[in-house]
Amino acid sequence: MSNALVQIDSLCIDVKVTRTRRLTIVNSATFDVQPGQLLGLIGESGSGKTMLCRSLVGTLHRRGAYINSGSLTFNGIDLVNASPKEWRDIRGKEIGYIPQSALAGPNPVMTIGAQMAEAIQLGEKMDKGVVRKRAIELLEIVQIRRPEIVLKQYPYELSGGMKQRVMIACAIAREPKLIVADEPTTGLDVTVQAEIMQLLKQIRKNLNTSIILVSHDLPLINEVCDDIVIMHAGSTVEKIPSAKIQDTRHPYTEALYRSRIDLVEPRGKLVTINGQPPTVGDWPTGCRFAGRCDYAKPGCSADVEIPSIKIGPNHLTSCIRQAEIWGK
Amino acid sequence: MSNNKAFAADASRKERIKEWVSRPGGFGIITGSLMFAAITLVGFIYPLVGPYAADEFVGESLEGPSLSHPMGLDQLGRDVMTRVFSAVPADIGIAFLGVTIPLTIGTVVGILLGISKNKYVVSTVSSLIDGINAFPLLIIAIAMVTFLGPGLFNVVIILTLMSWARYARIARTKAVVVLQQNYIEAAKLMGYSKRRVISKHVAPNVSSESLAYALSDFILVIIIVSGLSFLGFAARPPMPEWGSMIADGRTFLGQAWWLTVFPGLAICWSAISLSFIVEGLSRRDRGNS
Amino acid sequence: MNRNVFLRKLGGRLLRTISISFWVMVISYSLMRLSPGDPAEARLGAGADPEAIIKLRETLGLNENAFVAFVDYFTGVLRGDLGVSLANDVEVLEIIKRTFPLTLTYIVLSVFFAFIISIPIGTIIGWSNKASAVYVFRGITSIIIATPNFFIAMVGILLFSVKYNWAPLFGYVSDFPGNLKYLWLPITVNTLILVSIISRVLQTSVVDTRAEEFVETGIIRGVSRPRFFWFYILKPSLAPTVVLLSYMMGTMLGATVILETIFSLPGIGRELVGAVLANDYPVVQGILLLFGVITVFLSFIGDLLAYALDRRVKL
Repeated sequence: MSNALVQIDSLCIDVKVTRTRRLTIVNSATFDVQPGQLLGLIGESGSGKTMLCRSLVGTLHRRGAYINSGSLTFNGIDLVNASPKEWRDIRGKEIGYIPQSALAGPNPVMTIGAQMAEAIQLGEKMDKGVVRKRAIELLEIVQIRRPEIVLKQYPYELSGGMKQRVMIACAIAREPKLIVADEPTTGLDVTVQAEIMQLLKQIRKNLNTSIILVSHDLPLINEVCDDIVIMHAGSTVEKIPSAKIQDTRHPYTEALYRSRIDLVEPRGKLVTINGQPPTVGDWPTGCRFAGRCDYAKPGCSADVEIPSIKIGPNHLTSCIRQAEIWGK
Repeated sequence: MSNNKAFAADASRKERIKEWVSRPGGFGIITGSLMFAAITLVGFIYPLVGPYAADEFVGESLEGPSLSHPMGLDQLGRDVMTRVFSAVPADIGIAFLGVTIPLTIGTVVGILLGISKNKYVVSTVSSLIDGINAFPLLIIAIAMVTFLGPGLFNVVIILTLMSWARYARIARTKAVVVLQQNYIEAAKLMGYSKRRVISKHVAPNVSSESLAYALSDFILVIIIVSGLSFLGFAARPPMPEWGSMIADGRTFLGQAWWLTVFPGLAICWSAISLSFIVEGLSRRDRGNS
Repeated sequence: MNRNVFLRKLGGRLLRTISISFWVMVISYSLMRLSPGDPAEARLGAGADPEAIIKLRETLGLNENAFVAFVDYFTGVLRGDLGVSLANDVEVLEIIKRTFPLTLTYIVLSVFFAFIISIPIGTIIGWSNKASAVYVFRGITSIIIATPNFFIAMVGILLFSVKYNWAPLFGYVSDFPGNLKYLWLPITVNTLILVSIISRVLQTSVVDTRAEEFVETGIIRGVSRPRFFWFYILKPSLAPTVVLLSYMMGTMLGATVILETIFSLPGIGRELVGAVLANDYPVVQGILLLFGVITVFLSFIGDLLAYALDRRVKL
């Protein structure tokens, strides 16, 4: 694990709400990303996954958030204390970002071509002909037909799927080592979703890029990703290889898995998870899932630090009772 | 969890009020309301209890502010403070009528337009409404004075004739949006009569939007009423009214600044207090402070 | 492919603008008919010669059927004939040509200066993280907007004409640069109010834009500062401001009436007031028509410009 591309240890991200009040969004995140790995990041809203993504592209300060403690390393570079110059060398060139399809997309007041040029040049001066050629090349990689026409269009003329492909094209423009994809298919049609996922898998294969794929859709992540990191209430609670998802060692993962819609028999009962995730900042002591956990015992809510227990070479969990529940 | 206390059924009255105030915009709404209530109340009560009457000649003309006459005397020796407060029914009262009447008429017309299936009627009336709205309010009000004659009462008529179109436009736009909502469809499917659907679902939603606009409009109308009086088209002397007082004071601008400044401040006070309320409400809507 | 759609929408909008202008004409013409009394009599006075009254009614077209009279008026307007002033027999069009340029001048200048000042203010405050700055800004602008323009003008006069003799109380000289002395105070008053309104809307717009995800993408792409400022902050935020501006021009025209009265400027606003006082119907109708049509076309142009800036705007 020492040649990991990204290493995150006990990362803690806080947000400045008012001059005096601070809220902890991410309490203790620990995982790593290997080169060429497709890692899924699963969690409910409020679990902190988006903040984690922002910490990887260095845009936390925009929302008044900052890294309070822990370490975040990319390719050996310390991102917690990175200077603006270091970020400029990393952002876009080494780490790419694909925003949430439902929220964002391309800048509505610029043509696609202008934006792709931005993504390709990243502030450097380049020959216009070279940039245009590369833009067309990228659009072809993301399977957009008639790229020369698309370059001249504005975002409102494109469909959701096409816009997202453009965002992917922009993200891979400089062939970064890592791509952070924050819910890239949320809100898109199921068929389009499948196509985009295929595209990402292909990109990973051809460019050997690591991809962190954030989602709340477990079946999707399970199918596409090599490994999965599950987050709940600001902490990473389990890291498990996709193939082994049924051998989970954390009650939350188990509950997520069991509540999959596609597992429901016709006329069967829908399995849900009790309760709501705790309000951000108002977290209970001990294990934060204890309030909703079927296996919880009083000891789970004690004011102890939640450990990270290693089960297998690629499997970590934070359930204190895992040995009792599932055996050694 | 501490925020959620106020929503609990057993939250005390005091706690719920406190929570309502602490939400964004609360400060503005309260300050504005208090300020506006203050001037309105004083305006209606002071003339009854004050030492002088609005048209009483009580001293030397053009005397500056003093203890017995905090706002000075005007060119006819009348107490400016009494006159300023006596003008409240004229300025604020007329403005109030000039908002509520068009509001009612306009909203009703707007909802009817929104409901109507008759394409020709809708497009003709809409064009008419757009036509009326095309004129700056002050301009068309002045033009109307040519044809209807001056006077405070006529101003109300003029405002009604001209303002209803703005409310109708807003009401219609909102009504169209509301009618497309799913809950209207649901109500109809449940068998509610058309009248019930309109009165219980369409009307409240449309009215809330119209009322919000009405508050901003109130500010505008106060300024227009005093503006018209300033030009001599609305209130006539010796009726106390802020705009006409400012116009009168213009001749003595160099010698007696209090004749223009105090009525002007009264207009400002009314408009600012209302705009605080509007600002507070909009902050509340936007969810930030 | 989408050029045709655009042209079609443009055509539709233009058509609507023209049809609204038509209604504007109808309204400005028919107001006279709303008079409870006899307009001719009102103009000439109650004790006037009955023959003169009849003659005036004839001139004003009051004896004819309303529809016919309007058609006459309509065709006249298309030819450029807006009627003749009852007060001095000058063609209304001439009166407009004589007085409108001045009004237009100081309005355009006010808007120009206001824009230049509002853009930096609105953008900086909108982008700022300091809650105190935003509070102060919105507070001050609220107060300025809520203050009637004639009061600001009077305070301005009190300070700059009465107390310090920096601006003359009345009078006007039409040639440049002499007229600057007379115009600077009204323009300043106008600009002050406009800046408050425009910068406010811009500030709100920038705050909205700032929260959008694509701005984040711009930061990640390392776009150069000036480029970022224009494409990611200003351009996406300007659309509401432009639309507002076109609406404000209409209101400004209205405000000129009061401003010109206070500053004794021989513009079209003062002309209107005079015509109203004298019951000079053709002039009133003509100016009313002018203002209405200008406002309608300005709103059309405003929407067009907003669309050019930000394709999200609906035409």
